[in-house]
Amino acid sequence: MDQRFTELLRPFLKFTPGGAAGEPVAITPETDLRALGIDSMQAIELLFAIEDAFAISLPDEELNDTTFATAGSLWNAVAAQLTAPTGPVAP
Amino acid sequence: MTGTFAPAERTARVAKVAEEHLARTDREAAFPVEALAEMRDSGLLGLLVPAAYGGLGGGPADLIEAGMALGRADTSVGMILAMHCQQAAAVVRYGSEPLRADLLPRIAAGQVYLASVTTEAGKGGHLLSAEAQLGEEAPGAALTVDRFAPIVTGGAHADGFLITMRSPGAVSENQVSLVYADRAQLDISGSGDWQPLGMRASHSLPLKLTGSVPAHQLLGGHGGFHEIAATVFGPLAHLGWSAVWLGTAAGALSRVLRLLRSPESRGRFDITSELLLTRLSRARQRLDTVHALLRHTLAMVESDGDLTETRSQLLLNSLKITASEQCHAAVEDLIDAVGLRHGYLKDSPTRLELALRDLRSAALNYSNDRLHLADGRLALRDQGVHFA
Repeated sequence: MDQRFTELLRPFLKFTPGGAAGEPVAITPETDLRALGIDSMQAIELLFAIEDAFAISLPDEELNDTTFATAGSLWNAVAAQLTAPTGPVAP
Repeated sequence: MTGTFAPAERTARVAKVAEEHLARTDREAAFPVEALAEMRDSGLLGLLVPAAYGGLGGGPADLIEAGMALGRADTSVGMILAMHCQQAAAVVRYGSEPLRADLLPRIAAGQVYLASVTTEAGKGGHLLSAEAQLGEEAPGAALTVDRFAPIVTGGAHADGFLITMRSPGAVSENQVSLVYADRAQLDISGSGDWQPLGMRASHSLPLKLTGSVPAHQLLGGHGGFHEIAATVFGPLAHLGWSAVWLGTAAGALSRVLRLLRSPESRGRFDITSELLLTRLSRARQRLDTVHALLRHTLAMVESDGDLTETRSQLLLNSLKITASEQCHAAVEDLIDAVGLRHGYLKDSPTRLELALRDLRSAALNYSNDRLHLADGRLALRDQGVHFA
């Protein structure tokens, strides 16, 4: 996963043990986003943040609970747009 | 489902008993024990239990047929069955084999009526979060339950409970586990009085539950409730409840039409009144709309697609919101259509007064306000607006 992506994700994971005050914890592809605080409203805010940061637009069919389940599944959806033949959309 | 089981006949038996006791259960806010006894005897509690476990092997289509039929007789009884069936379906799909082997035959035999314990003080109706934490000394060890719930429909009469609790070791309230407990495995204390506007026979009391259950009574693994809610609880709740509400409003319309057409009433109502005709039309239009939406949503659920998809969740929520609003509005139309004597008084054979009180709960029973917030977020995920 891109470091820009994990850094962007971090502030959304409000329940990351020790994440707020202590050492930054590792975000792995298996990191469970829902368990760590990303509810349906946070998912929308995270989506906007990702689309702004990477200048991409995630397709509607990717915007489901499965995509937002783990850091890895969300990154896969992001990465697919970064490498899409048409390239990133203009910011 | 094959004709051998004749679920319609079983439902009709329950509806008949429910209707016999309706006036008293509403007046006294008493649980419909006679109708529950008939659900046990008729096998209807096993409606969604597979035949291999002794049940009727029914599916969502059978649930909505039963819901509509019972709703015509008594909304409370219809909701009691619909909620029980949604619990049973969760055991069928997510129960461990030892739990299924123990529990499903008892449900099918009418020995176990299931209640749902998902409400919790202080979480404002959030189904998918939990405060009280499930105890687990070690993985695979017994699970300890210590839980207060402000509203448990039929809690005083249930033989088993499906209980949501925060998962052991959870770091957030979003990690929720679902466990089954027999009444005998729990110490249950209840308190308080049930004196609602409508749904008076659903007898929903606050309960405190404490006890310990073996690990195999966990459904869907720790943290598994989110998936159970998305695939079983949500879809079957919205289908089942909407069917019951539609049945209630359809029963009300039917009784109004019988009144208008009865020989005794001729001359009391001007059936050429354009206002009366328009109000009847409006009520009927609302019910046809709900019925069409119910059938369409049923077809989606039966197609075995992914019910967690955005468009599927939106449709399921739309069904619940629409049914709760339109069934209530249809009864309002009918009250205006027939006026004070038959629209507002308890002793009218139309039972519009009871239907209106019962259906007023529909928007609150999993609040439409909360569903609209969820739907607004879901809508933002689907800028192309794709329909299920």
